[in-house]
Amino acid sequence: MKDAIYLLKKERSARVGLIIITIVIMLGLLAPIIAPYDPVTADGRASRLAPCAEHLFGTDSNGMDIFSRCIYAIRIDVVIGVVGTMLSLLIGIPLGLVAGYYEGFIGELILRLADLLQAFPAFILAMALVAATGQDVKNIIYVIAFLNSPIYIRYVRAEVISLKQRSYIEACHAAGMSDVNIMFRQLLPNSLRPAMIQASINIGGAILLTAGLSFIGAGVPVPTPEWGSMISTGANMIITGQWWAAFFPGISIGITVLGFALTADFIRLYLNPERK
Amino acid sequence: MRILKYLGKRIAVFIPLLFAIIFITFCLIRALPGNPAETIAGPNAYPEMIASLEHQMGLDKPVLEQFKDYMVGLFHGNMGYSWFTSNNVTTDLAIRFPATLELITMSILFAVIIGVFFAICKAYKPTGIISRVATVYGMLAGAFADFWLGLMLVFILFVKLKVVPSPIGRLDLFVTAPQHITGMYLIDSLLTGNMVAFADSFKHIFLPALTLGLVHGAAFMKMTSSTMGEIIESDYIHHARSLGLPKKKIIGHTFRNTVPAVVMTVGSTYSFLLGGAVLIENVFAWGGLGQYVTTALANKDYAALQGFIIVATLFSLVLYLIIDLIMMAVDPRIDY
Repeated sequence: MKDAIYLLKKERSARVGLIIITIVIMLGLLAPIIAPYDPVTADGRASRLAPCAEHLFGTDSNGMDIFSRCIYAIRIDVVIGVVGTMLSLLIGIPLGLVAGYYEGFIGELILRLADLLQAFPAFILAMALVAATGQDVKNIIYVIAFLNSPIYIRYVRAEVISLKQRSYIEACHAAGMSDVNIMFRQLLPNSLRPAMIQASINIGGAILLTAGLSFIGAGVPVPTPEWGSMISTGANMIITGQWWAAFFPGISIGITVLGFALTADFIRLYLNPERK
Repeated sequence: MRILKYLGKRIAVFIPLLFAIIFITFCLIRALPGNPAETIAGPNAYPEMIASLEHQMGLDKPVLEQFKDYMVGLFHGNMGYSWFTSNNVTTDLAIRFPATLELITMSILFAVIIGVFFAICKAYKPTGIISRVATVYGMLAGAFADFWLGLMLVFILFVKLKVVPSPIGRLDLFVTAPQHITGMYLIDSLLTGNMVAFADSFKHIFLPALTLGLVHGAAFMKMTSSTMGEIIESDYIHHARSLGLPKKKIIGHTFRNTVPAVVMTVGSTYSFLLGGAVLIENVFAWGGLGQYVTTALANKDYAALQGFIIVATLFSLVLYLIIDLIMMAVDPRIDY
């Protein structure tokens, strides 16, 4: 804990990252208190208003308040990113452990399956899977978890393969520890660093993917407040010079993803074994 | 001879992979909700009509038999017909593939220029103003959505400043497309000396390619920068420095050794963008593969989807083969 605070004092980008994420999460949690309007109520008389005192970020073509929708969208986008990434860690880490520990047939099989999954064009596969399972938040989370798991399989496997040569693992074998015990007690905690760094980056990636899917109407259905579909609504207003409907949700995505990317830097420094 | 052996090995791994991909796609596509026969027949169709359409489309057969029929067709070079454009899928893809290839090639060109420029500036003067811009750019580029950046550039450069043409398609309506040779307008118009078409297609490709170039340039910058960082610390650069070689020369020598890293990044960006440029293609109504596959997915156009996946997989195979060959040429230490 002390280390973390010391690091935060020293590294400005890590500080910025954590502050961004804290603010975003607070905004998401407190959305009903902060948002001045209901995120899905359309007010026909107030459509296409430029940013002003009543509507900080303006309104879209349906007359929905963009500021309120941007705040509420945190509950969709960030939740998809975080939960999706957690689930893919849950799939990828054990499979990576097994693939690294049993390098023979099982390891090879897992690796080939990961290859197969990564051979597809990722965005198109995501689109197809979401279309096949139905367009809702839960299914998008599952699809993201499934599609991102090969990365963790590879990272954990690579770490395990190098770790299991070490003498402390040999000592465990000599002491008669079971394979499961060695894998989960000894190898697991020491092989997580690359996966944890990647996880924070992937949360951002998952948010971008969700927004992209929704942008072409293949993700979270309207009128649920979601950044990507908001940009898609705003896209039609760009030509007439009404930039705000697309601008603010895009900025929200950018700041959030940046926050998670900077946090990845923090995790990398914090988990660096040579730091002390 | 070694190259032949290497090629053989790659293809031996690739064929079962391709087969598995075709099969999985085939099943996945048929798991999409909704019945394409119903979609085509429209909402007021009689059940008999839907049934006869299903029969015509071969959808009443078991999936494995459909797969067998498809594979037989494929071996005869027939990818089937798109139910919505009513063209042969091969024809459809042949029109759209060059459009996407042209777009992503230009994008990668921009990305390499942006990325390598910043990386060299960073190596040359790590505390200079450009290096600081580069650091900020590196942080921001990956964070913002490409389709959003595209829209914002359209707003600034088209709506406000009017320096680029409207973001619709690859050519203005009144400009005739150059004679079809490769299907890539920039190259075709150059080959036929059609300068009007060349200028116009360049104006149209500029913005979408710049958008993708800005988004993906950061990857090139980071890759080049970190490789340069390693090489600058190596013995032969220390040696060159102690000999008193000018800084420019040293940076030049360092850069030469980052070329393999850049080539690798070009490869991965190509294969990513073939499917990953979908959103930008939609923003700019580009009419490429990405848009084709999006509509195909919405319409449950089975053969079209299947065709896209085959083309994308083959493309990445050929791409990585070419990349490996280029790698051998630019980095003599590599031996397969």
